[in-house]
Parts: sequence; C-alpha cells; structure tokens
Amino acid sequence: MTAPPAVPETASDADLIRRSHDDPEAFAALFDRYAPMLYRYVARRLGPDPAEDLVGDTFLAAFGRRDRYDLDRADARPWLFGIVTKLVARHHRDEAARYRALRRTPAGAVHDDPADAVAAAVTAAAVRPRLAGALEALPRRDRDVLLLVAWADLNYAETAEALGIPVGTVRSRLNRARRKVRAALGDTDPTREEA
Amino acid sequence: MDDLNLLRDLGRALDREPPATLVRQRSRLAQARPRRRRPGPLVIAAAALATAALVLVPALLRQSGKAPATHRPGTVKAVNLLLVGADGVRGDARADSIVLVHLPADRRRVTVVSLPRDVEAPAACPGATTGGRLSGTIPNRSLTCVTRNVEALTHVRVDHVAILAYAGLVEMVDAVGGVEVMLPRAVDDPASGLKLSAGRHLVRGRPALAYARARHGLGDGSDLDRVKRQQALMAALAKAAREKITNPVTLARLVNAVTSGMVADRALTPAFLKELATSLERTDPATARYKIAPVVPDPRDPARLVLDEKRAEALFRTLR
Repeated sequence: MTAPPAVPETASDADLIRRSHDDPEAFAALFDRYAPMLYRYVARRLGPDPAEDLVGDTFLAAFGRRDRYDLDRADARPWLFGIVTKLVARHHRDEAARYRALRRTPAGAVHDDPADAVAAAVTAAAVRPRLAGALEALPRRDRDVLLLVAWADLNYAETAEALGIPVGTVRSRLNRARRKVRAALGDTDPTREEA
Repeated sequence: MDDLNLLRDLGRALDREPPATLVRQRSRLAQARPRRRRPGPLVIAAAALATAALVLVPALLRQSGKAPATHRPGTVKAVNLLLVGADGVRGDARADSIVLVHLPADRRRVTVVSLPRDVEAPAACPGATTGGRLSGTIPNRSLTCVTRNVEALTHVRVDHVAILAYAGLVEMVDAVGGVEVMLPRAVDDPASGLKLSAGRHLVRGRPALAYARARHGLGDGSDLDRVKRQQALMAALAKAAREKITNPVTLARLVNAVTSGMVADRALTPAFLKELATSLERTDPATARYKIAPVVPDPRDPARLVLDEKRAEALFRTLR
C-alpha cells in the first residue's frame, strides 16, 4: 500500500529523523532499517508472539517523540533500544516465564531449524538452563544492561545513552550481572576457561 | 569461552527471523501521522449524506415520533448520489471505491451500484494519474472528472457527489461498536493488515477497513471480489447503525464520524439535505439492493475492464 520512500540509503538516522519533521514518510525508512533488529532482540527476550506488536509500539512511541531526538547523534539505535527496553519492562511476567521455560526445556528443543541447533549445541546445550536461570534471577536494571551489550551489540557508551545512565553505572551493573552469571555457570561448566 | 559469549550463543539459538507480517507494524506508523484538516463548510453539508442515503434520518424521524411531511407522488424526484471512497488523509485523494446510490422517486427502495475501479474511463482527467481507469488520484479533491466519467459510462445523471475518506469509515464503524463480517476461511494478509480466523467476526473500524480493502487471502483476489466485500460492509454498517442509533451517544459519534470523513459538492445545501432526509422517511435500508456494474475484460487489453454493454444498459436504465 505504501510505496517505499525515496530515501538514499546513505542518509544517517539523524538525517531521516530531521526529514521526518516535514515528511513523515522518512520515518518509515527508519522502520525499514531497524525493525528487524529490534524484532530479533525482543523475540529473544519475550518470545516471538509479543515481539511484533512491541516493535510497532516502539516505532509509534519514537515517532511521537521524534521532535526531542538529539540530531547530533547520527546513530538512532541507542535511542530505539532505550524505548524498546522500557516497553519490554511492561512484559516482565512474559520474560520471567520465558526464562523459566528455557530453564526446563531440554537443550535443542527450542530450535525450529536443525542447522541452527547444531551450531549452537556445541557450547550452549549444557549451559542453557543455567544461563536462563541466571537471567531470570537478575534484577531488571542489571539484566537490561547485560542484554543490551550481549544481545543488542551496543557498546558501553551506547548502552549508557539508551538507558540514560552514566557509563560508569553501565560498567558496574554489567560487572555485577556477569559475576552472577558466572556464579550460576559454576565450576562444573565444562567450557569455562579459567582466568 | 566466557560468559558473554555463552550468552551471545544463547541469543543466537533463540533467534527468530522477523516474520513478513512485521510490515503491518509499519502501516501503524502511517496511520499515526497527523491528518490534514479538511475545509469546514461543505463538510457540514455532507453530514447527512451517507446517513440520509442509508439509515439515520428515517430512523430518527420515526424515533422522534414526529409526523413526517407527506409527499404527494410526483413532487419528489429521483436522486442519484455518487459516493467515492478514497485514501484521503494527505494531499490528493485516490479514488478507491466508486458507488452510485439511487434514490427512486417513491424513495421506497435504495439501489447501490458499485463501479469496479479498474473500468476503463472514457475521459482523461488533467492532472490525475488514472492510467485511463476510473480509479486514480483526484487532484485537489476535485470530483468533476470522476463525475464526468461516471456519467459518460453509465448515462445516468449524477445529482450529487461526495468523497468519503477511509478514515471516516473507520470512525463510523467504531461509532456503532463494530460490524459483523463473515469470512469463508482464515485470512492473514500483511498488505492490508487483516488477520482473522474463518467464520463470523464482530470487527472494529480498522479490521473492517482492511476487510473491505484486502486483495489477498480473501475470495479470488480480484477487484470484483473486493467490491462485494465493500458492499457487505456497507450493508453491515447500515444494519448496525440502524440498531444502535437509538443510543444518543452512538448517534452523536456516528454523525461526527460522517461529518469529519466526508467532503461533498456545493449543491448539497442544508435545505436540500433536509428535503432529502424528509423524503427518505419511507425508505427501509434493509431492502436496499446492492449491485455491481457488469464488466468484461477489455478485448484489446485483458488487464483492463470494460462495461458489459448489454447488461450494464439494463441495470443503468433503472437508475435514469
């Protein structure tokens, strides 16, 4: 129904957002650019069912507050992941249920794709229940930091920007979270390298 | 392997490819865009049009218990209204469904004729990107060209014409608390955003609009099939409106939805509408006939449609 907008692929996110003030269609280009990435992130945390709507909610919210976007920031990922993190928090029960299920599911059973399973099984199989248990037990703020780094591939500065906290706080939350994850993996983890 | 990498592995193991239906979320964005306000005065005149043509006024008159003005036979003329459903929230509207509403002189039985939008149009419209078809953009919301083409095709005089923006349709359906649609089988059409199981459903405005516009996953995917669904929706809306307008809040919402969603021609003056409304007292929308202009593929270009002249003539003769 809506034709793809004529937006150069090289335009920065900030350019798109600036243009969207006059031409809302430019914002759709931002959707095309990042919706799949956000979908994957949310689907990992909450499962595929709520992910679709939540991505839509994220872009609607972002569109509504695009006037407040700092146009000096060329990359909009931290901004979008910040919004998505707030929306994920509203689904904390879904998220807890997901980790509980992962904790109980035998390794490999969550895969639809056998090739996927083979690749991941090597290391993840034995430790998945423990990882899931650790994620479930983490306080939300620590988990947000840990997963923005591990699953959204944001660096410390970007994570800080997404959550609106100082980089030092990112560092301390991440350290705390990783300590707990390592503790959960314990000494029986066969893949763990001793420092 | 360290804990972060193990976590990354877990993430990859949990990964799902974004489904094709994700684009539906993109269209939510399109709907969120600010709507341009349409001009005021003519909109008021349009208020009674869809309602008069369908349900509101006769029901209102009955409800208020006032004796309607009686009309001696012969003092009321037949009236033909051209209604154009359009994508019209920004800039130029695009005609998407084109309907001729015939109110006979005795006003007893309304006939609604849908004109398939891919029918070849006889006249070119300057400034319109119609590709020679009845549909296409309507520059500056001017309906002169669509009207001229409909008249040339049907040889039916068009007395009045109005655009109904789809946004208005959504609001009308919501105002009556939803309408019932029947789906022969489950449908999941990302293009229109429609996702419903088979069977009867009470749907709100947006899914109702998707139902009316969907080309995929329903019926045979043709425009004619779509026209049938649009008529089913009109009938369902008329039925729901008739049942619900005894509630003053519903009535107010419905009138508001109609006024905000329509733009009509200047000849639809309040005086004329009042007269029209009064004359519709005897009209029962439940008896309305819904017809589709008979068409055949164009022998010169099978991708286009032309009127099936014999059968079309038989139908349109009843509207003159």
